[in-house]
Order: sequence, then C-alpha cells, then structure tokens
Amino acid sequence: MDKKQAFFSLLNKEFVLLDGAMGTMLQKAGLPMGALPELYNLTQPEKIKDIHRQYVEAGADILYANTFGANRHKLQGSGYTVEAVVAAGVKAAKEAAGDKALVALDIGPIGELLEPAGSLSFDGAYDIFSQMIAAGAAAGADVIAIETMTDLNETRAALLAAKEQTELPVLCTMTFEQNGRTFTGCSVPSMAMTLEGLGADAVGINCSLGPDQLPPLVEEMARWTRLPLVVKPNAGLPDPSSQEYDILPDDFAGYMAALVPYGIKIAGGCCGTTPDYIRRLKEVFAPLSYQKPAFVPQTAVCSPSVAVPVDRARIIGERINPTGKKLFKQALLNEDIDYILNQAISQVGAGADILDVNVGLPEIDEPRMMVKVVKALQGVVDTPLQLDSSDPKALEAGLRAYSGKAIVNSVNGEEESLSRILPLVKKYGAAVVGLTLDKGGIPKTAEARFAIAQRILERALSMGIPKENVLIDCLTLTASAEQAAVAETLKAVRMVKEKLGLKTVLGVSNISFGLPNRELVNHSFLTLALANGLDLPIINPNIKAMTDAVNAYHLLMNIDKGAEHFIAAYSEAAAPAVSGTPAVQGESKDLGYAVEKGLKADAAQLTRESLQKQDAMEIVNGILIPALDTVGAQFEKGKLFLPQLIQSANAAQAAFEVIKEHLSRTNGSPVSRGTIVLATVKGDIHDIGKNIVKVLLENYGYTVVDLGRDVEYEAVVDAALRHKAKLVGLSALMTTTLKSMEGTIKLLREKQVPCKIMVGGAVLTPEYAKTIGADYYAKDAKESCDIAGRVFGEEKEES
Amino acid sequence: MPIVLQDLNKQEIFRYLGYGGAEPDAVTKKLTEDCSIRLLKEAVPRYLYAVHPLRWEEEGIRVGETPLLLTGNSIKEHLAGCSRAALLCATLSQPVDRLIHGAGLRDMAESLVYDCCACAAIEQLCDQAEEEIREKLLAGSKTPLYFTFRFSPGYGDLPLTVQKDFLAVLDAPRKIGLCATGNHILPPRKSVTALIGISDKPVEAKRRGCGACPMQKTCAFRKRGDHCG
Repeated sequence: MDKKQAFFSLLNKEFVLLDGAMGTMLQKAGLPMGALPELYNLTQPEKIKDIHRQYVEAGADILYANTFGANRHKLQGSGYTVEAVVAAGVKAAKEAAGDKALVALDIGPIGELLEPAGSLSFDGAYDIFSQMIAAGAAAGADVIAIETMTDLNETRAALLAAKEQTELPVLCTMTFEQNGRTFTGCSVPSMAMTLEGLGADAVGINCSLGPDQLPPLVEEMARWTRLPLVVKPNAGLPDPSSQEYDILPDDFAGYMAALVPYGIKIAGGCCGTTPDYIRRLKEVFAPLSYQKPAFVPQTAVCSPSVAVPVDRARIIGERINPTGKKLFKQALLNEDIDYILNQAISQVGAGADILDVNVGLPEIDEPRMMVKVVKALQGVVDTPLQLDSSDPKALEAGLRAYSGKAIVNSVNGEEESLSRILPLVKKYGAAVVGLTLDKGGIPKTAEARFAIAQRILERALSMGIPKENVLIDCLTLTASAEQAAVAETLKAVRMVKEKLGLKTVLGVSNISFGLPNRELVNHSFLTLALANGLDLPIINPNIKAMTDAVNAYHLLMNIDKGAEHFIAAYSEAAAPAVSGTPAVQGESKDLGYAVEKGLKADAAQLTRESLQKQDAMEIVNGILIPALDTVGAQFEKGKLFLPQLIQSANAAQAAFEVIKEHLSRTNGSPVSRGTIVLATVKGDIHDIGKNIVKVLLENYGYTVVDLGRDVEYEAVVDAALRHKAKLVGLSALMTTTLKSMEGTIKLLREKQVPCKIMVGGAVLTPEYAKTIGADYYAKDAKESCDIAGRVFGEEKEES
Repeated sequence: MPIVLQDLNKQEIFRYLGYGGAEPDAVTKKLTEDCSIRLLKEAVPRYLYAVHPLRWEEEGIRVGETPLLLTGNSIKEHLAGCSRAALLCATLSQPVDRLIHGAGLRDMAESLVYDCCACAAIEQLCDQAEEEIREKLLAGSKTPLYFTFRFSPGYGDLPLTVQKDFLAVLDAPRKIGLCATGNHILPPRKSVTALIGISDKPVEAKRRGCGACPMQKTCAFRKRGDHCG
C-alpha cells in the first residue's frame, strides 16, 4: 500500500488520533530550555523511542517524529547535519510504531522570520524545508506534518516543498491566538483557503490555546475548507513559574469531545500533553461519530489577514497598470516601487476590495518585477491581489510569491492559453478570470461568448479546479465603436451568471473610450452591468462616481442591510476628510514660504498657479531649491528639527509632483538634477534613515533609485550601472552589518562602477567610512543633500 | 499578566526626535499626539522572562543549564556579585513595523514620529515588565534582593551573536513570535532582549550610562550634551 493510501485508509476510521507532546516530555526529563530536543535522536535514541512507544500504547494512529526543529538554521553550530538528525528521528519513531501507527516527518517554523518582517527569503525558506523533506522521505516517513506555524508564507514554503519533492500526504496546522489570528496576523479563513488551494491533505490548529478555547476557531475553519480538520492543542496554559499546564487529561478529552460537532477528524495534543491525555482521548472518542461539517463552496480570495468573499459586488482597482500612463511607466523603469505602493494605498483608501497588478512593459524583466511588486504590496496593504499578465512566467512567479489566494487575470478559450494557464491556477489554488474570446477573436453574440465561458469552465473542472474559482469576463467593447455590442456584453453576463452559476468580472472603463463625458458613460454602464449580474467590476475606485454606483447598488438591492454602509459613507458626519493642510490658508501666498513651513497642499496649489506664468525650471531652481536650502541651514543651526525638515521636503515633493505632471503633459523633459542609487545594505533591515535621505534628495530634484533594504551587493552594482548613477548611497545601522557595507563598496570598486559612494548610519564614523573606501560620510540627511550637490555640481543630467 | 501600554512619555519622544530641550513646533506636537494614540492602538505588547542561576565558567557566564553563554568583560562587570539573572524579551509585534513602513510611503515625517513613539513604547513595556519581575521575586523571597539595571546584547562587549540562544532559552519565537535574523537583528523591529542581575547583597549602584554604549562615539544625543534614555 502506498503512503497516500495508508493515510487515506486511516481516514476511514471515525477519528484519527495523533500523539501528544515530545518537547515538554523531554524538558520534564531534564532537557534544558534552549537546548535542541532533536539532538536526542542521535545521543539518546532510546529515550525518544520510549516516549513514542508510550504514545502508540495510548492509541496514537500517527506519531510525529522528533524532527520539529531539525532544520539547518536551528542545527547550525550543533555539529550535526539535518540529514543525520532527521533520519535518526524518523527511525526512532518507525521502530516504536511498528505496524501500529504511521510516522510523520514533523516540521516546525524555521526560527527566523521571512520577509518582509525578517530577512529570510521565501526561496531560502523553501530550500531549508526541502532539505528536511528530502531527508524525511528518504528515511521512510509516511506523512508530513507542518505545524505550529504563525506565518502563512512560511507555511506555504513548507507545503510547496512537500508537494513538489514528494508524494506524501501533508497535514498543516497553524497556531492561533484567542482573537483568531496568528502572531503575524494570519486569519483562520485565509489559512484554510490558501492551504487547501496549495494541496494540503488536512488543515487545522495546534499549540498555543487549550481545547476549551477552540470551538469558535474550529467552527470558522470548517466554513472555509472541505479538508479534514486537525486539532492538536496545548494542555491549556503553562504556569509562568512551574511551567505546569493547567488542563488535566480528563478535562482535555472532554473539551476535545466538545469539538466533534464542529467537525474535527484528526485529534491529538501539543505542549504539556502526555500519553495519559491521548489515552483518555481515545476512550472518550470511542463511542462518538465523526460529524462531517456541511461545507458550502463560495468564491473568495484572500491575503494572509483579509478574506474577501464575493458575496456582493467587489471592486477590483485597476490603477496598477502602465498602459497609457507615462508616470507609471517611468516608475517601473526606475524601479520606483513606492510610486506603485502609493497607487495601491490610495485605491484601498477609496474602497478597492481587490487590486489588479499589471507590471508588463517590453523593456523590463516582467517575472522579476512581478515578484518584487507583489512582495512590496503585501508589505503594506492587506487587500488580496489579482495578478494580471499575458506572460505565464510572470504569472507563475507572482503566484509563487503571493501569500494567500490570488486571482489570475487571465485565461481565454484558446487551447494554448488553457493548457498553459490552468495548470498554474490549479497548482497554486488561485481563482482565474476566463475571457470569452478565442482564436476567432471576441464573438459578436452573447450566445457565442457564453459557449466559450462554458468551455473554459469544463476544462477547469476537468483539471480539478473547483467551480467557485472560475470567474468569467464577458468583455466590454467600446460603445463609440460598437454601440450594438454593449447589450450583448450585458446579456452574456446575465447568461453566465444564471446558467453557469459563475461569478463575473468586467473591465468597465473601456466602455467610454473616445466619448465625451466618460465618467457618465462609465458609471451608467457599471450600474447596468451590476443589475445584470456583474460581481467584480474592474474600475478606478478613486473616481467617486464609480464607487458611488456600487454603494447605491448595494443599498437598492438590499445587500447593504439597513443601509448601514451607505449612511456611514454619505451622512454629513462622514463628510470626506480633507487630508493634510487645506489649500491656501490665507497666510501663504508664496511658494517659498509654503515649502519652508511644510504646507503640502498650499505648495501644490501655488505651484499650479506659478506654472501659468513661469517656466518649470525657474520654479525649481529659483524657488524650491532655495527654500529647501533655507530650511536646511536652519536645521544645521539647530533652529529647526528633523520632523520640520521632512515636512518641508514633503511640501517640496508636492510641488515637484505638480511640475512632473505638467512636464509629462506638455512633453517637456523631466526635471532631474541627476540619478542616485540608495540601499540599506545586505542583512540590515533598519531603513528609516535611508528613507528620510530619499525624501530629501528627491525634493532637491534628484532621481532616486531606491533598492530598499537587505540589498545584495550585486543588486547595487547592477542598479548603479543600469541607471548610470554618479552617486551611490549606502546605509547600515548595525555593527554587524557594516561588513556588508564594506563588501558592497568593494564590489562597486572591483567592477569599476563610475560612481561616488556616500555612506551613513548610526554606528558609522567618518574615519570608519574612509577605512572601508567610501568617498563621503554623511552625518545626517541634510548632509547627504550637500554631498549630492558637490557630486553633481551644476551639471544637468541628460534626459 | 498582559501589560497595557498607556500614555507615552511625550518628552521622551521629542528627545528621540532630536528636539533636546527645545520646544517643538505646533505641527510636530499635534503629529506626536496623533501618532502616539494610533501607535498604542496598533502595538501588541508581548513579553517573556525567566530567571536562571548563573555559572561562572572560563569562557564566560553560563545561564543555567542552557546553551546560552555570555561572553566579554562588560557582562562580567555587570553581573558581578549576582547569583541569578532574569532574562527578559519584549516586542511591540509586527503591526508596528507595518505602521512605520506604511506611513513612510505617504509621509516620512509621520513615519519618523511613529518610530520615535515606538521607541518610547518599547521602553515603557520593558520598564513595566522589569517592575513585574522585581515584584514577583521580592514577594517570593524572605530575604532582600537587589537588582541591576537592564543590560542588552550589544552593550559593551557582550556580542549580538548571543541573540539566537537568548531567544531560544525563552522559547520566544514560538511564544511571542520574536526571532533573530542571521545578522542578529530582532524582527519585529521594535523589540528588546535584556538581562537583569539578581543578588542577595546590594549591587554597585551602576546606572545605565553611555560608558557601555556602542554608540558613544557617534551619538547625536551626546554631541548635544544629552543622553538617550
């Protein structure tokens, strides 16, 4: 019998029993805190085997081998290899199990946080787990148990490694706090949905809480997955001084039995439990029957912390897309990720439920950019993403990087598209947008588009993609060119909704192309489409009329019960908040003054006015820069402090934005006093200083290519060359990362990059900066602007 | 006992912002007020501690039976006369990192103020945790006990490389989600590890001072004749 079958035949029992704790058993037997329990596999295998044997006797069907922390991060410096520790751990468990129990390779968290919280990359985590998994499979493990996870992305790395390297069944459990979230904010629905999509064989909860606190969490989990549910809780809470857990075996088993009505199938114990707990569990469960939860499939997507069920119209924000947007294209070329993040933040603020992400430009490496943008977006917004590309490689790279359940935009009825895109959708458990077009183009009639939708659905189902994950886009045609087609699109939406029971998507804004009063056409069409069954309008949420139309639709269709949301959005009390300082407060009639005082809105407004009568460069060189210089001088004299310096820079930035837009409209050459590459060095994640420097430099008119934090040496070299940067700025905050600064400088010199290097950071001294080969030491953000001034002189960069 | 942070010390925040004794402008004052309220909402204070006996070995001070070995002269000096030490770790948790980072995309001034509010908050959390440790130990002891100030890895010549073992002894990654990176940085970023020496005899009344600080040569506070904490 193969391993998968062995596991699935176990599931034919009413309940599958897991074992109890290993770590706390060993600690009771004298293992010091902080020591690695996994080393006992080699040094005291009999002790390990004895504990396993007790669990078999107590009735466990699956033993977790003592391999929880046997990863190379934790074993570093122990003198033992992952392979040896894992093999010995699995061996001990197998010997104790005989033919009475299966043995799981136990995989816990690596012990180092993944990006963006920490500095371990997803691929790095994948690699660490792969090594454990290869060793476990070679040693003969029957099952893989990924447990005690708090980061959904780390869990994904382990699960992907398990699925890609072995055929073994995989149980995944995470650790939740009472509020239903993990330390990193992952929610129960997001966890269940994401891991089921990625191919886990059972999901659940372990550690942290006692079983008495689990009913609401288990109940919620059952609503979000069809998989068997695992519960392996602690024996309550430990006493801080004695470390004794407060729930005894009888009560433990009682609380566990109380979870049966919520649908648990696989049960065991975590910290503080002993063979007695499992024995009692077996006795108490013996007369009970498994109660399979009534699962109702629903279309939903998620990020780690936010699940968005498509139970009403959900707005997909369309703004992260370079098509027809000069500034966006420029931002992509400059790798100005902050620009993209700001687009995301403003759309979320305006009411986007999901964000479409398209970063395709012929000049860039799209898969790489997709990963970079997806990671950066997930660091600042909780909104689920729709990955939008015509390049399957970019889609796969994005899906791999995305923590949660994404939407893939898109597949169409052509064979090539179906056979390349749907396997990715299946593998990563995403939802997918099916476009109703094929080789013959977009069919004219609703019936023909419906037929393609049907074909896409059938193909998806045949590949094991659940129906609720298929979304259909019946395609909006421009009303000015094909007026008669508008009604066909609406009809097709209705047919797909009614006859196939699928959720529908439409890009709305296209409808009005080439017409006057586009806004009117757009929101009118949106309302019509919603009434015909549109679920996921792709729109610009920053245009108020569009989000208004969605809000009104929800109100009128009795979806927004009691008009609660509507009233909150439009009652007088909730009048739109004015962000920042109001434009022209009466006191500042002069742009220089507005910049000096940090009045953002005034600065923008006054720049708009000045552009009517003055040349852009005159404004920059004659007003903005001198104003910043005045502020800088006051800062140096200690008359004005860092927050004010930054506020002035912000005001100048608002002015620069206006000028940039003006120039891109009038096709003037961009204002740039030169290009500077900035990075916080490899290994360091303290970047607030670098970010302040960036704001100031940008507002002195420099183009800043910000590589972020924890930046590889090569990435700095590449960027400096690619952008022909004459100045590179490096920051490091820790004594331990200064060596990365030195390494980066060394590589820049070795590759003979024609640039000056300035360095800064709290632990640096001018002397040390010189020793490691920097050209300049900047003691603060203001000084970095002075250095830039010296490096670039008055010379203007070629545009 | 869960610790609830309240009312951050604004004077401290202004000092972190670089104002020294100077009066901040009205905009910065208002920003600090708003940011500290939001920060307290977002922060999830978590902390752990454990008391271990100390063993003086040739290479350094061994913490109980654990793998944690404290090396260097500074820690020897700090723990002189102490038979036990409390290991403390504390964090404001990930939402604070996101708050500081997210604010920086819109407005670096706001981000900077959040950062300084977070510094004040983590200090407050450590102060309260330290208070709890003292009270607990004193309540459980028949004889008087004396405590040193909090000493963190990175002070003096106590290397940052001990962070991983330090956190492992407290089981901090699992219990409060606090880890060390390969470069010994502690994410979530507003986190602290510290040792408090415990003695039966009065310990030399040392204060946390600039002498042990690795930043003493470059510190902007010191240049102004000020200090950070």
